[in-house]
Amino acid sequence: MTENNFLTKTLTDTVLTRRSFLKWSAAVGGSAALAGGLNFGLKTVENAVAAGEEQVSTIGCYHNCGGRCILGAVVKDGTVVRLVPDPTPAKDEDLRTNPRAIPCLRGRSKIHHTYAPERLKYPLKRVGKRGEGKFERISWDEALDTIASEMKRIKEKYSNEAFYFMYASGENWKGPDGRDPMRRLMRLFGGYTDYYGSYSAAAYGAALPFITAGSGNSAEDVLNSKLIVLFGDNAVVNNAGGDNAGYWYMKAKENGTKFIVVDPILTDTAMALEAEWVPIIPGTDVALIAAMSHVMVKEDLYDKEFMATHATGFDEDTLPEGAPRNSSWMAYIMGHGPDKVEKTPAWAAAITGIPADRIASLAREIASVKPCALFQAWGWQRRAYGEQPVRALPILAAMSGNFGISGGGPGIRPSGMAFKMSGMPVPNNPVPAVISVFTWPDFITRGKEMTSGARDKIKGVDKLSSSMKFMWNQAGNTVINQHSDINLTTKILEDDTLLEFLVTFEVMMTPTAKFADILLPGTTGFEADNIITGEGHGIKGNHAWALFNHKIIEPMYECKEALWIAEQLADRLGLGDEFREGHMSREDWMQDMVKSAQESYPDFPSLEEFKKVGIYKVSSNKSTIAFADFRADPVANPLRTPTGKIEIYSPSLAAYNEPEEIPAIPKYIPEWEGLSDPLHDKYPLMMETTHFVARSHSTFDNVDYLREAHHQSIWINTLDAKKRGIKNGDMVKVYNDRGEVHLPAFVTHRIRPSVTNMYQGAWYMLNANGVDTRGCGNMLTKYHPTPLAKGNPQHTNLVQVEKL
Amino acid sequence: MNIREWALLIFSILGQLAAGMLLVLLIVRAGVVRKVGVEKAAQLTNPPLYMVLLIMILALLASLFHLGKLAHVIGAVPNLGTSWLSREVVAAVAFVVVLAVYALLLWRKIGSEGLQSIIGWITALIGLFLVYCTGVVYLLPAQPAWNTLATPVTFFVTALLLGVLGAATALMLNYAKLQKKDAALQEFVKNTLQWIAVAAIILLGIEFLVLPIYLAYLSTQGTAALQTLNLLVGSYGATLALRLLLVFAGAGVLAAYLYLNASIAGQEKSLATLAYSAFALVLISEILGRFLFYATHFRIGV
Amino acid sequence: MTKQLAFSVDIAKCTGCKACQIACKDKNNLPIGVRWRRVFQYEGGEWIKQDGQMIPGNVYAYTVSAACMHCENPICMDVCPAAAISKRADGIVLIDQDKCIGCRYCSWACPYGAPQFNEDLGVMTKCNMCVDLVDKGERPACVESCPYRAMDFGPLDELRQKHGIFAAPAPLPDSNLTRPSVVYRPNRVTKSSGDTSGKLKNLEEL
Repeated sequence: MTENNFLTKTLTDTVLTRRSFLKWSAAVGGSAALAGGLNFGLKTVENAVAAGEEQVSTIGCYHNCGGRCILGAVVKDGTVVRLVPDPTPAKDEDLRTNPRAIPCLRGRSKIHHTYAPERLKYPLKRVGKRGEGKFERISWDEALDTIASEMKRIKEKYSNEAFYFMYASGENWKGPDGRDPMRRLMRLFGGYTDYYGSYSAAAYGAALPFITAGSGNSAEDVLNSKLIVLFGDNAVVNNAGGDNAGYWYMKAKENGTKFIVVDPILTDTAMALEAEWVPIIPGTDVALIAAMSHVMVKEDLYDKEFMATHATGFDEDTLPEGAPRNSSWMAYIMGHGPDKVEKTPAWAAAITGIPADRIASLAREIASVKPCALFQAWGWQRRAYGEQPVRALPILAAMSGNFGISGGGPGIRPSGMAFKMSGMPVPNNPVPAVISVFTWPDFITRGKEMTSGARDKIKGVDKLSSSMKFMWNQAGNTVINQHSDINLTTKILEDDTLLEFLVTFEVMMTPTAKFADILLPGTTGFEADNIITGEGHGIKGNHAWALFNHKIIEPMYECKEALWIAEQLADRLGLGDEFREGHMSREDWMQDMVKSAQESYPDFPSLEEFKKVGIYKVSSNKSTIAFADFRADPVANPLRTPTGKIEIYSPSLAAYNEPEEIPAIPKYIPEWEGLSDPLHDKYPLMMETTHFVARSHSTFDNVDYLREAHHQSIWINTLDAKKRGIKNGDMVKVYNDRGEVHLPAFVTHRIRPSVTNMYQGAWYMLNANGVDTRGCGNMLTKYHPTPLAKGNPQHTNLVQVEKL
Repeated sequence: MNIREWALLIFSILGQLAAGMLLVLLIVRAGVVRKVGVEKAAQLTNPPLYMVLLIMILALLASLFHLGKLAHVIGAVPNLGTSWLSREVVAAVAFVVVLAVYALLLWRKIGSEGLQSIIGWITALIGLFLVYCTGVVYLLPAQPAWNTLATPVTFFVTALLLGVLGAATALMLNYAKLQKKDAALQEFVKNTLQWIAVAAIILLGIEFLVLPIYLAYLSTQGTAALQTLNLLVGSYGATLALRLLLVFAGAGVLAAYLYLNASIAGQEKSLATLAYSAFALVLISEILGRFLFYATHFRIGV
Repeated sequence: MTKQLAFSVDIAKCTGCKACQIACKDKNNLPIGVRWRRVFQYEGGEWIKQDGQMIPGNVYAYTVSAACMHCENPICMDVCPAAAISKRADGIVLIDQDKCIGCRYCSWACPYGAPQFNEDLGVMTKCNMCVDLVDKGERPACVESCPYRAMDFGPLDELRQKHGIFAAPAPLPDSNLTRPSVVYRPNRVTKSSGDTSGKLKNLEEL
């Protein structure tokens, strides 16, 4: 793909030169010092400006929210005075070529995050039972010696397959810190069992290759859409800041695009885009899509020719060899399939809670307004049968004539652009075994029984030779807070004869940190130089950048950087030279990173210059229209699916031979703990656990400013609340067989009846009765991996809510 | 209600008590001068007047507790052009200063009765102006529960009601200590108590008249006012009922008994008891009433 | 008065995220309990039955970000007993924290809840329109912070030309009381001050 880089203009326009530093940071009289309680005794590293002058250094925001935003830290007389957003002047912004990455409220609270009282200060060693949270302080030497000796012991006794590098996403540096140094070291040490998938997109990632593979049109293309239908895509919250995903939608709205949002909640996205709200019962999306297909077929509103030439299994004529009769999508929706049920709007209305007329009019609108972009995000796939809707939406995109055109799209997510810079080189993993990201508790309790068969679907090997004995958890709260069924996980982790050694490397005393055997205190973005890139997942649209994150204060307490820890362990494991490969400082690694960027971008500055300018941006004035070439010529430009076409009927999925839960075509499968589950009599409300704008998953939950601004609550519909005598703000108890939570209720019209929402990421806090009093939904979620991806179904839950 | 709001409550009740008492005592003193004599007037009313000064000093001390930054009071420039609160502060300070001067004149027997009387009446006028200020500072458009004629009217009624009964209490306390109680003085005191009882009953009537008008007014002034109304008839309903009961008992029942007993000879002790009890009940009631005033207001807007 | 400076907020762009609130707190080092800029969530409508299904009918929601209005007729300034509040030629209303005695009378008078008591300092504080930044030719922190570029800043008459004259979306009070120097661009569901069809939903966060 050719790029037309406006590098020179970009460089001079966005560069934060020394002159503009000083101009922008002219002395300010009476600027407030850091509030009481945050006087840490900071020492800046660079004191290049005179006393009383302000210096602004670029820092990045590096958490897992979909953004990689740009901040400036204003430092004066050795104190971090405040933060400023992306220093690109507002008047110079061009969203296509020179976008600003304005941080969200979380990035703006970084000072209070960095200095939060929950910061870990010293290495700690567990005393007492695992999970009690009782520690004694030890030296770094003792901590590292212990880890090294445990690594050797476990490798000796159980093999490298017993090691696990835990899924986490709290920090996402390109380098030199981040999780790559330890990945590198552990692979040099012989490797570890790895994971496939993510807690964000397990089902999506597993299912997408079985329909279209690839990614969507680049984000700026939304300006060409007349109609955009979002299926659970809450971009305004989930990509809140400089990722600009939501901002592109807003620009489209300003441009005249109409928005429709299909979601059980009138999300902030739906509200901000003034969208028509289709309040669907969660988990029933395929029923809606099937019924809309039905309308399009019945009323002859779909692109017959395209479906015949570009898709496999749309109707009986395009079924692949070996597929049984009446197994096509057409047979399914017209009632000729094995279930003999015609997927009419009336049928779907009873299941989805959407009136039949509305389903029909929505189908007509999607079919006739051109171009129309359909977007899915990752909420509807984080459910019991999340793989199904992922594969269903592209069918609708194709039928409606929008697949592969500008302003349309293939029914997946908008894309961005890669930034071609390498991080730390990580060798191949000598251990081939890979488990699903969500099934690590099984790896602990029954690792030796896990196979590549239907139940566990491990990859790389047919069966594991060991259970998990060593876990490295870095910048992650997934070990307990973010994983399903906290009470169950607690029991598993408490037994230290199963998982024998758990190291957590963290910045805060999170609920997960309390389960560590050795707890290591890490540095934050203020405390070390690093490089971070904004690309694809980080900023949407045809632009990307690299940002130099400046160290602006000395590491707090005894906190250490990831690179240092990896080096120290490497030395103790006799791998010092192999690990370093001649890189004796972090600058050496950063030089390599800069060199790799210069291979793709000859104008990329030297490391010294990069430090000064802070940001380097690239952009392309050409949009990516996904699969446009495939649309033009499907034979010459096949999709990266096994058949090269849009795989509506997938022989690969059929080969799993699990037709009930892994059907060859997308199907509506009634959820366990859905409204048709008999458990509904006891627990009549569905509960989701969507993202919260005041947190990035569980990061930032402990920041005082953010807690003050957004209160944790359970959203409950006004009618459901009235039945229970619950008023807005009342304390309620939310419970099912797995646990109990007490928190305030937010009684609102903005969520549909029968559904509640407990925003995810709150750090659970058990009272004496084992009840969570902070509001963590994972007290109530179920550890029940999805059929194909073996992923997390954290939005599928039944609960009861009562006034306290 | 936190300590700052209690400070305001104490200031306003004590300040109104002082202004009301001063007015009543000056009337009584003038009466004693005419009917009995200057010396007896001084004996009877001077100590109560000193008490008024003490009450006003306490009121001002209490008011200091509602400030966040006491130190800034020194050197503070008043905003008399537009701020009723500024005027109230100046009035309160003027009141206590002139009252102190008056008390000094009385104590040291400086000046003629005529001069003292003039100073006294000037003080009383300042006191009444102070009561007016304390009322109108609450006429804020953003506070519908307060922004009504009922507020200054209620404050004046409180000042007079506490004034008459407070004066009765102070007079009876002092009267009990007097060495010589001749018949003329005795007669005058009884007469005064009767007038006070009548005044109390009338003022009680006004209070009972204003309340339903006020509640009706609240129902027409929008959301914030309705919130006030809901509190007054809802969770604070019992408090309101108690307040009404106490003021009825004190300024109604006991006042009636006071009137009746004052016409019977030889009942000084019971008269005193009735006066003290009536004052105590009414003071508590007015404190409750003022508490409701501060506890149930809601600002409009956000 | 030469030119009154003012804020404007485009409700049609606001997502209710409160980056503006946090940016202001960060810049001014505000303690917990003092929020110079706040965001109000307003919601109304009803769920009704149609064809056997419950549907959201006319359910609506929007958010309003508001700080100090630097009113043309600032009642706080009129009522302050210590003359601690003043209005500059450019319209910015400032509390002089060296003069304030902390009596909180201004907070009773302001229908926008702008003056707020700072327990640590013992005085009233409020949005000062980042007067230190404005004097350098920069824009207030909240305006710069909005990820949806929903806020604007400048002379009131210019903002009115650009964005209209609407200044009182519900739940804000009637703009005739103090004549706030602010412009709101309504979206399709924005209600006017005094509306009773909806409710303020997030009182505990304010």
